[in-house]
Amino acid sequence: MLYIVLFFLLFSLLLYVLLGGADFGAGIVELFSSRKNRKVTRDTIYRVMGPVWEANHIWLIILLVILWVGFPAYFNVMMIYLHIPLILVLLGITIRGVAFVFRHYDAVVDSSQIWYNRLFRIGSLVTPVFLGMSFASLISGKIIITDDYTNYGFYDLFMEPWLHLFGLLIGLFYAALCAFLAANYLIAETEGEVRKLYRKKSALYTVVLVVLGSVLLIYGYFAGFIFIEDFIHNPISLISVGISGLLLIPLWRSIKSGSKIWSRYLAGLQAVLVMFAAIIAHFPYIIITAEKELSLLENLAPEATINNLALMLLIGGLVILPGLFHLMKSFNMIKILNKSNPN
Amino acid sequence: MENLDYARLQMAFTLGFHIIFACIGMVMPFFMVVSHHKWLKTRNPIYLKLTKAWLKGVAIFFATGAVSGTALSFELGMLWPEFMKHAGPIFGMPFSLEGAAFFVEAIALGFYLYGWKKLPEKFHWFTGIIVGIAGVASGILVVSANGWMNAPSGFDYINGEFLNIDPVQALLNPAWFTQALHMTLAAFVATSFAVAGVHALQIFRGKNIELHTKAFKIAIVFGAVAAFLQPLSGDLSAKDVAGRQPVKLAAMEAHYETQKGAPLYIGGIVDEEKREVSHKIEIPGALSFLAFGDFDAEVKGLNDFPDDELPPVAIVHYAFQLMVGLGTLLMLAGLVYFISLKKKHWLKSRKYWLLFIITAPMGFIALEAGWVVTEVGRQPWIIHQVMRTEDAVTPMPGMKYSFFFYLFLYIILGITVTWLMNRQMKALNKEE
Repeated sequence: MLYIVLFFLLFSLLLYVLLGGADFGAGIVELFSSRKNRKVTRDTIYRVMGPVWEANHIWLIILLVILWVGFPAYFNVMMIYLHIPLILVLLGITIRGVAFVFRHYDAVVDSSQIWYNRLFRIGSLVTPVFLGMSFASLISGKIIITDDYTNYGFYDLFMEPWLHLFGLLIGLFYAALCAFLAANYLIAETEGEVRKLYRKKSALYTVVLVVLGSVLLIYGYFAGFIFIEDFIHNPISLISVGISGLLLIPLWRSIKSGSKIWSRYLAGLQAVLVMFAAIIAHFPYIIITAEKELSLLENLAPEATINNLALMLLIGGLVILPGLFHLMKSFNMIKILNKSNPN
Repeated sequence: MENLDYARLQMAFTLGFHIIFACIGMVMPFFMVVSHHKWLKTRNPIYLKLTKAWLKGVAIFFATGAVSGTALSFELGMLWPEFMKHAGPIFGMPFSLEGAAFFVEAIALGFYLYGWKKLPEKFHWFTGIIVGIAGVASGILVVSANGWMNAPSGFDYINGEFLNIDPVQALLNPAWFTQALHMTLAAFVATSFAVAGVHALQIFRGKNIELHTKAFKIAIVFGAVAAFLQPLSGDLSAKDVAGRQPVKLAAMEAHYETQKGAPLYIGGIVDEEKREVSHKIEIPGALSFLAFGDFDAEVKGLNDFPDDELPPVAIVHYAFQLMVGLGTLLMLAGLVYFISLKKKHWLKSRKYWLLFIITAPMGFIALEAGWVVTEVGRQPWIIHQVMRTEDAVTPMPGMKYSFFFYLFLYIILGITVTWLMNRQMKALNKEE
């Protein structure tokens, strides 16, 4: 039963990174577009993401619930020592979430749209950066777990673990990954001139991603981060990243040729491979503190809880996944219908 | 004030904020589908317009509820890490089910919001019903988790350890049913009177009367019926609390001396130092009857509980009085509505509409007061008789700043949403 729980943990993490990430990415693409193209992107995002954006972000809640029910000791460390970056993540989620709805459901279209747009775009950029920084703090080796809070300063315990260049690089890398996913996703959703635009964007973000990834690895290695060293010495991680690198060739071709389907799936697959490589590099020791490495599989919830959680996840999955699939499928089909009948 | 106090204030404020949006997101879909149904049946375009106007409201409230709910699921851990470490594995089941229900709600809402003219009419309408049902299910599950904090069950607490965990028994804790029933009815009362009040205001101002009268009628029925059922559910809750958390009951009533045939206090000023209540109206024997169904039953007073296990009495007492008082007024307002079904000329009277404008905020005030009774009344415990709130709070100092940060963020958000609703209303009236 533990494996079912672990499966859903990774599954929801993956879906949040892919779907939620593409959602953030769409805002980032919009942020770094010319004035004219912003309008186009805004409308495309609404059409494509509108029906599913709320669902995309519920994966985060599922992820959180699995962590606190099944892995309470682990959750406890995250919640105490990542308090500040998580507040920043929440601020980002709140602002971009409401701004997205406000800009599309405000009954009056006037100058307040400028503010909704600004907040949505900026929120879309900072949220994944802070999410990346939160993840970075888990593996940075800078968390100090203690019961004696008088011995340490506030900065040492609650700022130092997340506020460093390595964290910022991981944050930027994740943001670039989001933009990369979104741009590739949008290629298939558009036609003509607009599609050309997203092909350019895809190419751009692919380059940014590769550059940031390389900088991250080089910096992490020379700055002596255990996680990066282990990442480089783990054959499975290397093979995953290697395949992901090789896939850049067909991806580049499909972006150039403007293939509707391929760039989307290739980009998704690459993101999955990179994620997989990062997780497997140190699994199950995903928290690396100043003194030790904490295993996800230690201090589990009692067996009765794990069994119950697995069962709930299976039942929930049976209800949700077909519905979600149907939702995505319905609106894809509608798009095709719309094309044949512009009204 | 200490870190603990700020953490508690932050939790109270963010929960209080979320509850409003959650309730509206849970109940308004029902108004929406009723109006939608009338449109499908009568093809009167006013119903279509109303449905779409409500739908925009639901989208805005749902999104705000969803983000504030996401923040809350983090906050549980960020503010109370020690609580979640032990409680998480025990009362996780309602949360994992709630996650699923919430997901279903979001999927159904996706269909409903974007499905106009694209989905088959009946199916499209039906997805609206799913939004409502899934919303109510989410609410019930979350309240069940709160019930567990009041009536911890599904584990053995031995030498500071939580053993023999049974998540199903924790979900079906002794408090879940009475609390969930009371809260679901409260959500309907509060949202109905708030929505009906907003439309009553438009009628009062003489704007787009036909549409707003239709809207008022759909909304008020739910609230009027629920307001009549609520005292029955409240009675169940009171008897439940009397049995399980006698100290909370005593605080609700500011009942200091243990006595047989205990009187019920209405109003009154509590002096926590002197342990007495002045300026109150006494109804002899009524507390004993309400708590145990017997006018002569003995009700244990606050003086017979250890000092370090007493909740803040005055707050709990005042909040309880406020809740019951407003609930009673809303029941009377519901009665006025039912009579107006016979006396149709009342609808022409401005006083009639003024009444429902005045009652608009009352449901939500009563609902918030009710949560103050539940939560403050459980103090100093976070898990009743098992874990103290002070032992659960985060070790991170500086919760003061966190509290003011959330206060600022949510006040801005609240103002923006109110302003948006006002714009919706203006746009709706202008189109006419």
